[in-house]
Amino acid sequence: MRPLEGIKVLDFTHVLAGPFATRLLGDMGADVVKINSIARATAINATNNPYYTMWNRNKRALALDMSRDEAKRIGKDLCARADVVIDNFSVGVLDRWGVGYDLVSAVNPEVIYVQMSGMGQGGPWSDFVTYAPTIHALSGLTHLTGVEGRQDIGIGFSYNDHAAGLHGAVAMLAAIQARRLTGKGQRVDLSQFEVGVNLLGPALLDLFSNGRAARPAGNRLPYDEVAPHNCYPCAGATSDDIADERWVAIACMSDDQWQELCRVMGEPEWSSAPVYDTAAGRVAAIDELDRQIGRWTAQLDAVEVMVRCQAAGIPAGVVQNSIDLAENDPQIAASDFLMTFDEPNPVIGTTYGDRLPLTFSLTPCDTYTRVRDVGEDNVSVLSDWLGMDNEDVVKGENAGYFV
Amino acid sequence: MPQEVGALSKVRIIDLTDERAIYGAKLLADLGADVVRPEPLEGDPLRQRGPFCNDDPDEPSLWHAFFASNRRFISLDLETQTGLDQLTGLIANAEIVLVSEGAFGTSDLDLDVAMRVNPALVWIECSSFGNEGPWKDYVAPDLVAGALGGSVSTTGDVDTPPLKAFGDLNFVVSGCYTAIAALSALYHAKETGQGQRVDVPVHQCIASCLEHVFMWYWYSDLLGPARGRALERRGSLHWSNMYVVMQAVGGTIMVTPTPDIDAQLTWLIEADEFGDLFEPEYQDPANQAQFMARLMEVLRTFVGSKDVEALFLEAQSRHAPYGWVLPIEKVGENPQLEARDWWHPYSIGEHVVKGPGTPYRFSQTPWQMKPYVETDVDAKRVLQDLGWDNDR
Repeated sequence: MRPLEGIKVLDFTHVLAGPFATRLLGDMGADVVKINSIARATAINATNNPYYTMWNRNKRALALDMSRDEAKRIGKDLCARADVVIDNFSVGVLDRWGVGYDLVSAVNPEVIYVQMSGMGQGGPWSDFVTYAPTIHALSGLTHLTGVEGRQDIGIGFSYNDHAAGLHGAVAMLAAIQARRLTGKGQRVDLSQFEVGVNLLGPALLDLFSNGRAARPAGNRLPYDEVAPHNCYPCAGATSDDIADERWVAIACMSDDQWQELCRVMGEPEWSSAPVYDTAAGRVAAIDELDRQIGRWTAQLDAVEVMVRCQAAGIPAGVVQNSIDLAENDPQIAASDFLMTFDEPNPVIGTTYGDRLPLTFSLTPCDTYTRVRDVGEDNVSVLSDWLGMDNEDVVKGENAGYFV
Repeated sequence: MPQEVGALSKVRIIDLTDERAIYGAKLLADLGADVVRPEPLEGDPLRQRGPFCNDDPDEPSLWHAFFASNRRFISLDLETQTGLDQLTGLIANAEIVLVSEGAFGTSDLDLDVAMRVNPALVWIECSSFGNEGPWKDYVAPDLVAGALGGSVSTTGDVDTPPLKAFGDLNFVVSGCYTAIAALSALYHAKETGQGQRVDVPVHQCIASCLEHVFMWYWYSDLLGPARGRALERRGSLHWSNMYVVMQAVGGTIMVTPTPDIDAQLTWLIEADEFGDLFEPEYQDPANQAQFMARLMEVLRTFVGSKDVEALFLEAQSRHAPYGWVLPIEKVGENPQLEARDWWHPYSIGEHVVKGPGTPYRFSQTPWQMKPYVETDVDAKRVLQDLGWDNDR
């Protein structure tokens, strides 16, 4: 038994943020029914697209062409039986499909209705279209993630989609707990933009308390005297390709760790300069400090630097890319974190996944079902949720609204 | 009518987290749970993290006020039997205990004993690498955790080192997972009466939130053109090549022709700035990749002559998901956040500071922000809740 068995989630989400939120609940045993349609299953919403396969495991697939009135009626019936209805469309799409909050809550007062729109309900930007890079830009994350003088770096992957998905999962679970107390459902308005801005909490408080506008700090901590705290080049690049470079991160969070690093480096003469005795001194001389450490690491293999530092209690880690994680990371291997789905995808064959990074002692989450094709679970879902028989399902498929 | 209680009202939580999971405790506290955060007599070391009110390290930490919001604090002397009894009492009275491996108080706790006293107890333990494996004793603050977890390798540019994101965003991920683990296990405990332990390794948490990184490793042959199984850091250029920050007049802007490339082309035609995109060489479907690369070049020229704010608003009016790269001071005066009344006053000791609101809004159980108070202001009440009288 998994911890969330018994919870029914009707999933209208697409792309990454919403599907990631529902994937988390599906991994933990919720019955997540993913709504898709042949008409919408294109590009990254196609069930054989690798991107789609990453975020939609452990869900049952129901095809509903929501442009059809009969599909809208079935959609509303499903909403009436759901614990959670969730979408991450721009504001208003589910209303047009006849499954907006007012209609759904009227027939299902206990429903948790989560809308993960880009900008939230209301406000002058509420109908703006956003993807994670849009949110990163507008929230300040792009401006602040980089180095001094640059405004064009930002986070190198769609971090905020994951952050929004994680917050979406928290919201669903918290609203379910609230319902236990109140007996009532509610609407959750999650703005992916507000998720992103919230992540800059201390910097925003600094802005409003001290009038100081944060600026990019590279790998340094913007508010704390900590040094060294950076990534350093290492030997062992297998080509001139930047993807093959080798780097190690070192973060001395205390004077003791700095003294240990000096010892690991072999007590080089430069490290005995009095300026390096204190964190304040090291921060003041950070450029030269980074240069000297970089000269040391550049002669060594990144793993060797990490192992030697960690043995001395110094925080250090290889800057791992996907190959490192998948092939060379002994911790990932030992935890069996990466897996292959037992059943191949009918179109692209073998598919892969990363397991839920939570280990429940009593209710282990070790069931992984491959991504299902559009409508592959029409019969089981419509039978389980609405009591429809096979004949009616086939009739709907032939009529074009369960497709 | 909304109720004046949070979604997690009446859920009792003990917060023994450090940076790795404190954001999870914050999420639960901000949702209305009664979260008690014990700390040593000398104070929570996280109170030393900057920035500070009035930019003065002797004033309250703004970092701590944000991440330790809505808590009740109590200092415990765990060198004494009284302090140990207090900690044991807090655990026995809790529904959820959040623990960061090695944090204050954790060495004095015994999970088996706690579960015997309270079989429905939910115990969440966040560690850097889990309890087993060759790296289980490695130490990893946010930068190192991000390096090993895979989030650093694709951030940065060809002329910078690999970079961490601004802030403690790797630990935000593990914090969120901590909250998810707690609420999922709580659901199960409420349904069955059975508590349990959930382990949350930061390393795997980060690796689970890398968007394209594993996808590219597993499916690079399907995603073409061939670029290898490990993607490089390359500034703002998205792995799809379809999102990148460009220079406009007065600022920079994230530009993408997706999801409706025809609409973007129509805009370029209307502006008579489509360049050579309609030359025959780009019309051959076999040259799709060359066409898209050329489109991005044409867009760079198009964007370069436009005022950044006007361009952003024009793009969004056309449902193009451009994003103006805003510095934090512009975020602080954002019209969408103002219109949604998002900002919230933080009462921090003697200070009242404008600060971030909540990442989500519950229609029936609204968010509340309690004043952030000194360590032992709530201690007496916390102990009274355990049945301790004044004398004791």
